[in-house]
Amino acid sequence: MEAPQYVAARVQQALAEDGRTHELGIRVDIRGDQLFLRGQVSGPEQRERLGQVAHEAAPELHVHNEINVVEATEPGEDEHLD
Amino acid sequence: MSTLTDLRIAAVGDIHLGEDVRGQYRKKLAGIEERADVFMVAGDLTRHGTLEEGKLVADELRGLPIPVVAVLGNHDYHSDMEREIADELREAGVIVLDDDGVVIQCGERKLGVVGGKGFGGGFAGKCASEFGEREIKNFVSHTRSIAESWKVALKEIVADERVVLSHYSPIKETLEGEPHEIYPFLGSYLLAEAVDTAGADLILHGHAHKGSEKGMTPGGIRVRNVALPVLGRAYAVYCLTCAEAPPADWHQH
Ligand SMILES: [Fe+2]
Ligand SMILES: [Fe+2]
Repeated sequence: MEAPQYVAARVQQALAEDGRTHELGIRVDIRGDQLFLRGQVSGPEQRERLGQVAHEAAPELHVHNEINVVEATEPGEDEHLD
Repeated sequence: MSTLTDLRIAAVGDIHLGEDVRGQYRKKLAGIEERADVFMVAGDLTRHGTLEEGKLVADELRGLPIPVVAVLGNHDYHSDMEREIADELREAGVIVLDDDGVVIQCGERKLGVVGGKGFGGGFAGKCASEFGEREIKNFVSHTRSIAESWKVALKEIVADERVVLSHYSPIKETLEGEPHEIYPFLGSYLLAEAVDTAGADLILHGHAHKGSEKGMTPGGIRVRNVALPVLGRAYAVYCLTCAEAPPADWHQH
């Protein structure tokens, strides 16, 4: 059986290289037959695509998509540099 | 008495726009002219660096009421369409820097902006060097030649304030939150060394989505990581305060 670290690395590689996602900053953890995705993306569609690509890269695992969708809010306070 | 005026710089990086979010970022830019004098975009405008995405970003930034200066990021290079993307942006009125500089007139004052994508290599004491295989030498010399171009551009530019706009980071502090193992792919101290040598008032970068906003070069120049996921808001605004013409009784110390 392939060591979970190698499977996680392969999934992470797929998320970065697959044309549907190209997402570099997603953390992939594997515990037994459970796969966890964590990180932040800018939209719900990207989160779904990441879940899909992870599932295709490791179809034998159950994917928990815990990626957060972070929407940029209005600009906040200015910073004065002096 | 000297009057102090602020030069207000709005900045963001890593907006990573795609078709599914068309128009959404632009909405957040409404009223930016009330908050800032210039808008700087620190690379990774697209997700895959395709021409379609480049056109979308150009539409999103087109016709803003304040000058827009941008550099590209590694994602914008992914499809080998970086030149075409830069052309699309320029056609939309965006100033795209590629290891060169520009002077923007902001009211009475001249703001010099120098920059480009930058590159990696790591940080002093823990970095790659131009030794061994050709591939490693190419990697390091790419960063070295970028740093050299910035140094020359900064020295040549005539402006009241100077800002460096990069995608990759010049320092480690603003990477805090990223795994240490990937630091060499996130930036290079050669960029900071060049800017410290030539002098500047502020360095803006993106790329490190999980990094931290604030840091400083060894030479004391303020560095801000403006990657959208780091800021958590549409853009940050930094105000450079500077004295206008000195009063008659002004003595230099
Ligand atoms: Fe990015
Ligand atoms: Fe990047």
